[in-house]
Formats: sequence, structure tokens, C-alpha cells
Amino acid sequence: MRFFLLLLLSWNCLGVHAEPVELTMANKLVALAEYRKGTPNKPAVILLHGFLQTHDFPTVHSLVAGLVDAGYTVLAPTLTLGVTYRKQSMACEAIHTHTMRDGMEEIAAWVGWLKARHHGDIVLIGHSFGSLEAIAYLSDKHDQAVTRFIGISVIEGRLTLDAAQTAHLIAEMRLAANSGEPRVVVHQFSFCQRYQSTPKGLLSYLEWTPRRVLDAAAGLPVPSLFIMGGRDDRLGNGWVSQLKVRSRVKIIEGANHFMDGEYEFDMIDAVLAELKVS
Amino acid sequence: MKPQSIARLASLFILGVAGFILLLGAYLWLETERVSREIRAREEQSARAEVMAGLKQMQSRADSLARALALWDETRQQLVFTDYYTLWRDARVRDAGMVPESVEAVGLYDKQGRILVAPAAAHPLLRQVPGVAPLFLLQREHGRSYFLVFLPVHADPDGGILLGYLGLKFDYARELRQVRTYQFADLGKLRVDLPEGSSVSLAQAPTYTRYSTYLNPDRVAFHDLFLTSLLRLMVVILFLLFLAAWLLQHLLVRPLRAFSAEIAQLREPGVHLPGKSYIVPLAVLELENMRHSFNDYQMRLSALHNNLEQNSRDFYDQARRDALTGAFNRRAFDEDWKSQDEDRRLGPLALLLFDCDHFKAINDTYGHQTGDLVIQNIAAALLEALRSADRLYRLGGDEFVTILSEADSYRAEVVAERCIEHVLSMNFRQYGMSEPATISIGIALSEGDGITLHELQKRADLAMYTAKRPGSRKLVFYSEDMGGMAALVGNREISAVFQAIANPDLIELHYQSVIRLPMEIREYVEALTRIRFEGELIGPGAIFPIVQARNLDMELDLAVLRALERDMTLGRLPAGQGVSVNLSAPSIVNAKVVDALIELIHKQPGRKMVAEITETALITQIEVASDNIRRLRETGCLVALDDFGSGYSSLRYLASMPVDLVKFDISMVRLLESGDRRQCLMMEEIANLVVTAGYEMVAEGVETRELLDKVISLGFSHAQGFYFDQPTAPNEWS
Repeated sequence: MRFFLLLLLSWNCLGVHAEPVELTMANKLVALAEYRKGTPNKPAVILLHGFLQTHDFPTVHSLVAGLVDAGYTVLAPTLTLGVTYRKQSMACEAIHTHTMRDGMEEIAAWVGWLKARHHGDIVLIGHSFGSLEAIAYLSDKHDQAVTRFIGISVIEGRLTLDAAQTAHLIAEMRLAANSGEPRVVVHQFSFCQRYQSTPKGLLSYLEWTPRRVLDAAAGLPVPSLFIMGGRDDRLGNGWVSQLKVRSRVKIIEGANHFMDGEYEFDMIDAVLAELKVS
Repeated sequence: MKPQSIARLASLFILGVAGFILLLGAYLWLETERVSREIRAREEQSARAEVMAGLKQMQSRADSLARALALWDETRQQLVFTDYYTLWRDARVRDAGMVPESVEAVGLYDKQGRILVAPAAAHPLLRQVPGVAPLFLLQREHGRSYFLVFLPVHADPDGGILLGYLGLKFDYARELRQVRTYQFADLGKLRVDLPEGSSVSLAQAPTYTRYSTYLNPDRVAFHDLFLTSLLRLMVVILFLLFLAAWLLQHLLVRPLRAFSAEIAQLREPGVHLPGKSYIVPLAVLELENMRHSFNDYQMRLSALHNNLEQNSRDFYDQARRDALTGAFNRRAFDEDWKSQDEDRRLGPLALLLFDCDHFKAINDTYGHQTGDLVIQNIAAALLEALRSADRLYRLGGDEFVTILSEADSYRAEVVAERCIEHVLSMNFRQYGMSEPATISIGIALSEGDGITLHELQKRADLAMYTAKRPGSRKLVFYSEDMGGMAALVGNREISAVFQAIANPDLIELHYQSVIRLPMEIREYVEALTRIRFEGELIGPGAIFPIVQARNLDMELDLAVLRALERDMTLGRLPAGQGVSVNLSAPSIVNAKVVDALIELIHKQPGRKMVAEITETALITQIEVASDNIRRLRETGCLVALDDFGSGYSSLRYLASMPVDLVKFDISMVRLLESGDRRQCLMMEEIANLVVTAGYEMVAEGVETRELLDKVISLGFSHAQGFYFDQPTAPNEWS
């Protein structure tokens, strides 16, 4: 029944009001996004996709549908990751030249773009690594129009290394990045076993260690809620518990990292409930 | 149409069939070659179609591959940030599986068509896009052929923002082979006839692409198999044809030709079936049936022929046989002997002429049926007596003849005596006959002295006539002294006899005295018959054989009575002169003759008349003869039994017939002169018996005094002979 309703919502929302959006970034790359205009008196939502994904990722897509149906203006951009007009999710083995900073700047660009069209509050919602990108953006300098943050299945930038090893790797990447020579490194990162990237790019992500993420999440300048799946197996042990220590966390029991299936509604309900609060 | 021989027709048929088979084989061969060429052409056409399809598929596949690569985010990434282009070109693009192994090289070009990084690979791409993309080219380089693809790469989905170009390089032959499966085109040795370093549009590739066409192994195998089978079939059919010709020759042609030849030989006289071809079974059923049918037909024809021959032989034999006796007839005799040239001279042989004695009397007395039985028995007896190789001919009536080859007088006599004995041994009493039937045989010999059959038969006639004479031996050889008789038995003598019967004036009676004893005075004369014919006097030796042979006894006796009356009337016989006249046995039982004699007696009253009845004649009707004798005696006529002792000498005659005189034959009388005591005694006793019986006796042939004395002593009352006088004509008689 829920699935039927979801399809109905998808048809109503995506088929009528979808508007592709192109935005040329400062580096001349063109970024793509999906824009859904909602009720003016409701906050607009920027939905950020996960690591190497696009705004067409199912979890993002479900959230777009739920929010549009609830009358929220939604902007779902696809970060370029160094590829102009990027429409495809990127492979781990691709030559990644993008950095965390690039993502933060593209979020800022999209906030600016949205703010030019929506005069109300802006809520950042991120899924998985998109939550981390949003935390990084909010932790650095954020537009005041952004008033709330919801992180879904926020990830810790997991490495299969202990702290010492991580530190050693970071040092190594810094050295390589500072050498100025165009080179790429291949290393395990996040869900990629062979993540091929420039040292600078990899370093920008490695520097967001779990501790840094917990600290940043706890110190966000806007109200935030972390919605986590009770059966998310992509997170490190104790990550949710650590997150709960200093941040507001809602656990959807039984849901995995992607909140798919019947848990999509729980996820949307939780998001909508949080948006109502604001 | 002119008929042809079976061999020619069979040969023409076999040759015709063989020619037809060869033509058919040649036609099939040519047709197979034509079909093979057509199939080959279709295969080449299909190969071209396959190559064309392969080129399209190759282009389509390369286009799809290039478009996917052009739409790939990472391709756009490299056209924007080229720092890691070589890594992307040499590793990433292949690791990501965006181009297959068959792609020799991949490269990106800027908006001006210049390659991003100068090529360093073994098979580098062109440095410059050679035209307006998209481009699909066929290139010849370093002895190899390549398939080049160039596509534009745009930043936006609408294709409005050109980022650069994408180039792909394929091994042309390998790519063309891989895009599809070829059933007809053989791309194993594909080559491109392009100048080195040049390139053309892929649309022109078929013009420069060289390849071969697969030989369809099934078609080639079928073609070879068909031709081989056709050749073998032709050989087998020709062999079978020759075999059929051989079989036809041996089973049909040869038998038919032999059959025909042997049938043709039947046209020649003297050729008879079945021949070889009719004996050897034929292998062909119809021929065998025909052979059987023809053989059956020939057998029936042969049987019919044999029957005809047998019938012909039977008819011929019947025509040559006497139906009554089974002996050969006169026709056979004429064919066997007279058909030969009468002038032909005979070798040594003997001709025996048989004649039944008194056959007419037997016929008259016992009937013709009995007469036929007598003839049959005599013929049977003669056939038994003759050698198996000797033929007995019945010339007519009771006359038979046979001719003994290589026979001398002794052998002829032995055979003749055997014949007489066999006839005498026959039992004639079973037919009611009182007397035996006897035969007389005249024998004439040819000793290779050049005598003809006609002459020999004439001699046998004379001998047989002689045998017929009273007192003669029944078996008589011809002798030269019978030559005088020869004329009498000729046509002239016979004519004389017949004319004398018709005209009694030809009869000239001679008279001989009958002397009364012992006074020795002439008591009467005996009239003896002679015939004066053509100036010559024919004696009894020639007359009576003819008369007996022709059964003219009665007629001659009547003629003699008229001649005697003539002599009496004319006074040639003195008035009162007694006279005796001879009557044959047939005449004494004939009322006409007896009436004529009685009439003569009445016309000459006072003249002593004696009727002499010959004893040699067979008198079978004793009662009739006795009545007639009695009638004669009643007229005063005396009756004498003539030739007593020479003929049948039946005492029954003497006892039954009322005669007055018994006239002893000269053969009996001369017994008295033989000096044989026994014969004399027998003669004396017989004479004594006759005298005792009351008869007077007359002795014939008395020529001497001594004999006269003896007969007188024996009591003879009369004598006759040359001692007294010889028969003389009336004008000489006194």
C-alpha cells in the first residue's frame, strides 16, 4: 500500500513540476540539479546526495517526492566532482580530482541560487556522505538563509585504518599534494576499495576524520537532526552511539543505510516532522 | 518396313539405351555443373551480403561504442581537465570497460580536431581529425588495415557545446570478423587494396576489401559425391547393359537364331525335328513355352506324318496285297518284277508258278465260299513252305507265283515239293470236301543266261500246263522240249481255242481205233480233238491246258459234239461206225452237254456211242454224274471211265458211277512193261478187281505186241495205241 502511494506521489510530483537546472560554477564546470518549487511559506530544502552519486539516487529521489508532496520547495543538485554536466554516478576507479572544498563551494553556490528564488528558510538535508558535505559547509561559513540541517545516515568517512595509520596516510597525502606533481593515488576510502584520486582530493576527505565529524555535528550553528537506520551496516561500530552523545539522533529501527523499502516513509515522516518543527 | 534380325534389333536396342544413358549422364553432369555454378554465385552473393552486413554491424557497433564513450562523464572530464588524460587514455578507459580489446587505440581531440596528446602507441591515431565528425574510415597503414571512428563530444545533452572529439581505431579485419558469424565469406585472408597511408570512407570499403568465399563443404561433398555416384552409376548401368546384351545374346538371340535356322532347314527335304535347339531347354520362359509348343506341334506333325506314312504304307501294302489270301497281288508282282525293264536280264533265280487243280470244279461243287477257303488254305500252305524272304503273289483265281532268288534247280525243287506237301497236309475236309485240293507247279530257271522275266514267266506257264496234263508230275521244270508248246500257250493258241468254241468247224477231229480183244478187231474209234487255226493244226497238248486254265471244258465239249455231228452228217465218219467222245468232269454233270450228246445219239441211231469220262477230272457231284450216266446208258450209249489210274483213282468213282468200261491210263498200262514185279502184280490185281466188278477194260498206249499180249492176258477187253494205229483225220482214215 505504501509502495503504491509512493508511486502515486512520484508521478504527481516528478511528472508535473520537475525543472532541470544548470549552474555554472566558478571553475567553469556546469552542475546539474532538479528543482521543485513548493509552497512559498514553507522552507526550501536542498537535498545532497551521497558519495559519488547523483540527485537521481533512489533515497534522494524518495525524499524529493515526499517533500514535494508536502509542499516544500526542493532543490536536489548533483555535485560535479570535477565533471561538467555530470549526470552519472562516478566509479571508484575514475580519476577523481575533486575535493571536499569543491563540494562545499558548490553547496554554497546552490544555496545562493536557491536563495535568489526562495525568500524563506533553507533546510539542508544530506544523505550519507552528502550529510558530511553539508556539515563541512555549515562548519565553515554558511549562508544565514540556511536554518536547519537534517542528516540522514550520516557517515564517518570510514577508513579501515586505525588512528595512527590514518595519520600516517594523511601525512603522506599532504606530502604528495604539496609536491605539485600531477599524480593519482589509489587507496581504500569509504565504500571504495580502490579509490583513485589526486592526493589533494583524497586528503581533503581524509582530513574529515570521525572525531572531526562528531565535533562538527555537535557544534553546528543551526538545529540539526540525524536520522539513522537501526540496521545500517555501512557505519563503523559505535558510530551512531557516538553521534547520539552530542547530537540529536532519530533511529528508524529496521532501516538500513539507504532507508529503502517500507522505511522510506518512516524516513520521510521523520524528515517532515522535523521540518514542521521549524 | 523390312524385317530386321533379332540380333540387329537387340544390338540397336542396347546401343540406343546405352546412348540414351550416356546422354542422360552427360545432361546430368552439365546440369550439376550449372547448378553448382549457380550455387557458387549465390554463395558469393551471400558472402558479399554478409560482408556488407558485417560492415554495417561493425559501423553500428563502433558507433554505439563511440557514442557511449562520448557520453561518458569521464570523457568530458578529460576534455576539460587534461592533466590525467594519458592515464585515462591508456588505463582508465580500458579498465572501466568502455572500449573492448579489439580497439587498437583511443584518443581525444580538442575542439580544433587536434589530438590532446601526441600519439606514442604502436598503432597511434591520426593527429588530426581528418574531416567533419562523425567519420567512419578505412585506413591502410604499415601494411595493415584499420577502421577509424571519429565522433564529436559535447558537454550538454543537446549537443550545443562542443568539447572536442573522440577517436577510436580498430583492426579492420579482426573487427569485421568479430561482429558476426560468416557462413559464406571467408575473411581468414582478408586484405584491403588501398594505397599505403591512404584512407577512404567506410561506405567505400566493399570496393577495396578482398576476401574469398567459403567452399560449402556439404555442397562440395554433395557435388563430388553426386558426380562420383553418377560416374559409377553410368559404369554400372553400362556394365549392366553389356551384361543384358550378353544375356540377350545367349538367352534370346542365339536360341531364336538357332530356332529360326532349324525351322528354315525344315524347308529342305529330309530334315527332321527335333534339332539341338529343340532339345536344349531355353532360359526364357516364353521361348521355352514356344519351344515346347513347337516341339509338341512338331511331335504331333511327326506323328501325323508317321501315321500318314503308315497309312500310305498300309494303303500301298493293301494295294499290293490280295485281300483274300494276304499274299501279294498281281500289282505287287508287276511292280516288283515287271516294272523293271522287260529287257533286263535276270540273274540266277527260279520262278515257281502254282495252280490249284480243278479249282473250277471245286467252286461249282462246293460253292464259291468253299472255293475261297481252299484258296486261302493253299496260300497259307505256300507261305509256310516258302522262305520268309520269298514273296508269294496271287496272279488271279487259283494261280500263285513266287520267285526264288539265287536258287538252282535242286533248291527250287525242294521248295516246290515242300509246297506240295504243305498243301496236301491241309485239312480240306473241314469244309465238307470229299477230295483233297492239289496244286500243279511249273518251274522255270534263270541261270544268268540273259533270259527276261517275261520269257521266264512264259516258260513257267508252259511247265505248269505240262504239270496239269493228265498223268503228268505235279512239279514240272521247263525244258526245251516244251518249246513247241510255247506257241500254243501264246495268244495265238488261246485265240484259236476261243474261236473253235465259237466255230466248231475249226475243230478237226482225229480218230483212233479201239480194238476188241482178243479178236483184235476195231470196235469203235475215239474222237480226238484238234484245232485247225490259220492253216496250222493245234494239238491237245496246247488245247487242254488252255481249256482247263480258262475253265472252258463244257464249252469245248459242246463244240466237239457239234464237230462230231458234223463229221457224222458229212460222212466223214462212216455210218454205223462206233465212236467214243471225251467228256470232261464238268460236262458230265452238265445237263446241257449230256442233253446234246443224247440228242446226237438220237440223230445217229444204230451207231455205237461211247462217252469217255476222264478220271483225272474231279467229279464232286457223284449223284448228278451218276444220273446223267444213267440217262446216257438208257440211250444205249456206253460210258467209259477214262485215264483210270492217272488221276484221283478214286474207287468211289468206280463203285458209284454205272460205267461200262474202265479205260486204264497209259501210265498204268506201261507198268506192265516196267519189269517191276510188284508194279505188275498190282496192275494185275487192279485189273482183276475191275473185271471182277463187272467192267470191261480198255488198255491205252499199247504200242507193242508184248504189251498187247499182257493186257489180253489180264483180261482187257479192248486196247488202243500206236500198235494198232495213230489218230488220223477222217480223210486219212479208212
